[in-house]
Amino acid sequence: MIRVAAWVGGFVALAALPFFLGSYHNDVYRKLLLWITLALGYNFLFGICGQVAFSHFAFYGVGAYSVVILTFQAGLPLPVAILLGVVICVALALAVAIPSTRLEGFYLALVTLALAQLFIVVLNEGGNVTGGAGGIANYRLPLIFGWRLAGPPYTLVVVALLGATLAILWRLDHSWFGRACRAVRDNPEAAAAMGVDVVRTKVIVFTLTSTLAGIAGMVYAFVDNTVNPPIFGIDNAFLILFMVIVGGAGRHAGAAIGAILLFLLPFWLAPVVGHHHQLVFGVLMLAVILVQPKGLIGIWDRCRDRFSK
Amino acid sequence: MQGSILEVRRLTKRFGGLTAVAGLDFNLRDGEILGLIGPNGAGKTTTFNIIAGTYAADEGEIRFAGDSILGLPPHQIARRGLMRTFQHNRPFSGMPVLENVMVGAHTQFRRNPFSRKASGEEQKQRRRAEELIEFVGLAGLRDADVGTLSFGQGRLLEIARALAGEPRAILFDEPAAGLTAAELDRLAGIIRGIAERGIAVLLIEHDMRFLLPLAERVVVLNFGARIAQGTPQEVRADRAVMDAYLGDAAAL
Repeated sequence: MIRVAAWVGGFVALAALPFFLGSYHNDVYRKLLLWITLALGYNFLFGICGQVAFSHFAFYGVGAYSVVILTFQAGLPLPVAILLGVVICVALALAVAIPSTRLEGFYLALVTLALAQLFIVVLNEGGNVTGGAGGIANYRLPLIFGWRLAGPPYTLVVVALLGATLAILWRLDHSWFGRACRAVRDNPEAAAAMGVDVVRTKVIVFTLTSTLAGIAGMVYAFVDNTVNPPIFGIDNAFLILFMVIVGGAGRHAGAAIGAILLFLLPFWLAPVVGHHHQLVFGVLMLAVILVQPKGLIGIWDRCRDRFSK
Repeated sequence: MQGSILEVRRLTKRFGGLTAVAGLDFNLRDGEILGLIGPNGAGKTTTFNIIAGTYAADEGEIRFAGDSILGLPPHQIARRGLMRTFQHNRPFSGMPVLENVMVGAHTQFRRNPFSRKASGEEQKQRRRAEELIEFVGLAGLRDADVGTLSFGQGRLLEIARALAGEPRAILFDEPAAGLTAAELDRLAGIIRGIAERGIAVLLIEHDMRFLLPLAERVVVLNFGARIAQGTPQEVRADRAVMDAYLGDAAAL
């Protein structure tokens, strides 16, 4: 009961915070929450199920572009556009996962890297549909029951997205399904001998996490009210990977810590090193891999164990 | 005559020009301990891998509880209630002992993870896993990291994990390999306890001193074919076994 109360209290605090922030900080805050959402999903795919994919951020873009194109270019009602956007993400994820997870080793990484690159090409060459290099801008979230959702109230949508994503992944992780995912990651042959359908598990996890990224992208589409190719560049795919590794792969808290740290670090570093924060990220990554492969959450665990003894 | 849980008929497997298994026939009866022995290269491990679904066979038939299982992938064979252990321990290294055993119970879960009854099912399987950990003698190591287990303890974990799937039959791939004398005694006791639970045991084994007192029946393989079968006493006295397998009878 206390645990549930703590979680509810935490999310109430997250939901209340935007009403005390100025518009600049509200914008930073929403993007932070979106990055945490993405990192949680990628952690389930990479940290828990052991699949290396570079398409997570591309799916975020697929979701964002889908909802914008379907709503404003095709003129569909928003709920229909959202539903169709989900269908597009699921179909695309299955089309990538089914052939590539049947192959061994690095094929999923290569195929998803190609997909992420191809996505940018399609966006740039998409003409009027995608708006080409300039993307699509100057749209507004349609009125919902006559109400314009913007500013701090829209941040509540982002908080709800984070809460729902965490709830789904947490529930799955603490069930037989999460254990099967970890078994697939640790030893696929032994997992199969225990009755786990390895290919099916991989396909489900890839499709689920990619679709969750797509839904996050739909929410993002109305944060900046603009979508264009540079936003969804391939460097973000690596940034998510860094977040999960630095924070601690396989742990929800680790992914969240990694996302918070690597998202906020450039803000603090900018006055010191300008745009060279990538260099600091690289050093940080190496330091984590060498010193504490379990990531920052591993350091936290060790400190806690020491104090509790 | 007792019913057979596992029937192997005319099983044949060729690797290029080498016939690893040549028309092998044997039955595993309900609740018995059957030993499958033979010298190195006799085809024991190949037979094991075909039954467990890792290799395909060229000819023959394998029936488990009356249904053909030949050609099914390993996870479907496990789902039917035929579980296995690995000769070289294969724990799930990122999980503690209890969670490893719970993976073994994978086929026992029916509930959708989001359903209200999921946590009751989880609790039930957790208690069951704790019982099995105690049964194999790893009580106290429930929350231990699997990386800290000794080789012998890792073998016991393999057994608890396979039992968690509520198997009707269990396949052991050289379970005695690498164990100390004290661990062997304990292992023999556990295997007898498994058979007493009504689970048929197929032991693929090298170590005769371990196998002969334990098995109720023994099938002897050489060059992929069965050269003898019977009780341990019968097999021990069999001329063909002495010639082909033992080389010098002094080993017994």
